[in-house]
Amino acid sequence: MTTTTAPTTETAPPPRRGVGAPREDNGMSPRRRTALTGKHLLLIVLSAVSLFPVILVISTALKSEEDVRTNPFGLFSSFSLENLQNAWVVGDFGSYLLNSILLSVPSTLLVVVLSTMAGYTFARLPFRGRSVAFYLVVLGLLVPFFAYMIPLYFQLRGLGLLDTLPGAILVLTSTGVSFGTFFMRAFFSDLPLELEQAARVDGASEWQIFLKVMLPLVSSGAGALGVFTFIQNWNNFLVPLLYLPGGEFRPLTTGLYQFTGGRSLDIGPLAAGTLITIIPVVVLFLLMQRQVAEGFISGAVKG
Amino acid sequence: MSTPISLTTPKVTRRAQTRLGIALISPLMLLVIVFFLFPLGNAIYYSFVDFDGIDPTPAFVGLQNYARLLTDPEVWHALGNNAIWIAIGTAAPLLIGLAQALLLWKVRNAGIFYRLAFFLPYVLPQVAIGIVWGWIYDPVSGWVNKALQVVGLDQLATGWLGNPNTALYAVLVTAIWATTGFVLIIFLSALRNVDGALMDASRLDGVNAVQQLWYIILPQIMPVFLMVTTVTLVGGFSVFDIIFIMTGGGPANATNVIGTYAYTNAFQLSQISYGTTLALLITALSVPFAVALNRLQRRLSLQGTGA
Repeated sequence: MTTTTAPTTETAPPPRRGVGAPREDNGMSPRRRTALTGKHLLLIVLSAVSLFPVILVISTALKSEEDVRTNPFGLFSSFSLENLQNAWVVGDFGSYLLNSILLSVPSTLLVVVLSTMAGYTFARLPFRGRSVAFYLVVLGLLVPFFAYMIPLYFQLRGLGLLDTLPGAILVLTSTGVSFGTFFMRAFFSDLPLELEQAARVDGASEWQIFLKVMLPLVSSGAGALGVFTFIQNWNNFLVPLLYLPGGEFRPLTTGLYQFTGGRSLDIGPLAAGTLITIIPVVVLFLLMQRQVAEGFISGAVKG
Repeated sequence: MSTPISLTTPKVTRRAQTRLGIALISPLMLLVIVFFLFPLGNAIYYSFVDFDGIDPTPAFVGLQNYARLLTDPEVWHALGNNAIWIAIGTAAPLLIGLAQALLLWKVRNAGIFYRLAFFLPYVLPQVAIGIVWGWIYDPVSGWVNKALQVVGLDQLATGWLGNPNTALYAVLVTAIWATTGFVLIIFLSALRNVDGALMDASRLDGVNAVQQLWYIILPQIMPVFLMVTTVTLVGGFSVFDIIFIMTGGGPANATNVIGTYAYTNAFQLSQISYGTTLALLITALSVPFAVALNRLQRRLSLQGTGA
């Protein structure tokens, strides 16, 4: 697992040996320079294609109402905060935002805490029956959410958890812990055995070894898991769609979907709502892109 | 599992470890049992009864739901769409992602900007992606039709999501746009492990770029290639969000996949049992690939050649 992660920042370029190694420094021939310029031009065009939809959201969200009506998708043809205001006041995106936070933050914390505890056990604390428990948890990585989402609806209804925040938080948590446990276990497995032996000789209890010796050493892993899980939960569509049908606790994702629902498409506020929805994810991604990429790449196991 | 039980571990320690271990996994196991294993068991039960969502003691119908599944033409139609989705939705990101990775491979300056730009779509919520692409495909003022107009291909302009002939492919293009960045990032880190000395030596021997790709680069990143293929394949069976958001399975079922068909049956037609059986079909189709993927990844990390 640990090797299936990808640091996306190159701290130091790998040392180049050999004669024919291409270098992008001053001593290059004009032909190579042209090739390089062409390459960058191509990459810039591709980046523009990749970013275009995001640019379109920003542009449409920041237009004046009138401009949206006449020329909805012309880029940056006017500037106004009317749409954001409308989305917030009329479109109820303020409460959607609050619900998104109330759903994503607790479920992310729960995933990180439960996965760290279980990951430590599965890596470091052998006991009879542990492998059975481990296989049950790993099963969650193989079975798609689709398989059990329908019975889960009726189960939540029976438990009185349907259309409640705790119900949706617990479901979000349960969809994240299989991967989380797997992910955290790899970090604990990498720690040297001598560490816990030394602590034990010093008279530390098992609980102290976990809390004081091992836990601080996996904080970067727990952080990556947290960032990744938060984005997953923030973006989650199916869980609120199925288990928060009433609308009282509707988060941004299903709030946006509701907005598109058949009736007159009010593009301006919808764009503003979309912008509100993606801003936290985009900011988090730009600030912590390494952790995000790491999480997503190891998280690929989950279908 | 990975921790060998050391023979020298004293009994007291082992007992203390057992106690702590059980305490640490209990909350997780409770959650897994209540919110995963129990409903999963119920799913299998639902598929053998006729449950409408209300009757607490539904009648046992044996294999009737499964028989219906085999004879339902919409199942086969939806499966066909899943197949198209998987084939194109796997091949296109692989090819584009590989091409982008090769382009980016030796770029030092600003490489980070390109990587961010390419990867960003992958972290966006599907709802946001669906909404914006809905605008791009807009029949009147969408950018696709406008672009066609500019190059003089007006006759190709259509309501991309409203036309049954184009809807599935239009959604597919959106999905490809969203997943290519992910494939690119994996390939980029795999390329970092490609033997530089071998590349240099081959260049001295006058090997051209295509030969380099085929004989040197591809064999070295093959395991990652397989992994990415399986990942997108597994996801292809349970695709739901983006199709549900953009077309809802329409127009006239044109973009129905098993996922949207299962949802419609369970939550719109109250045919809970049949919907559940369809969802189990997705599981049965995707689990073998997921298992293969898991094996593959474990082998990759053992070899230390993983992405």
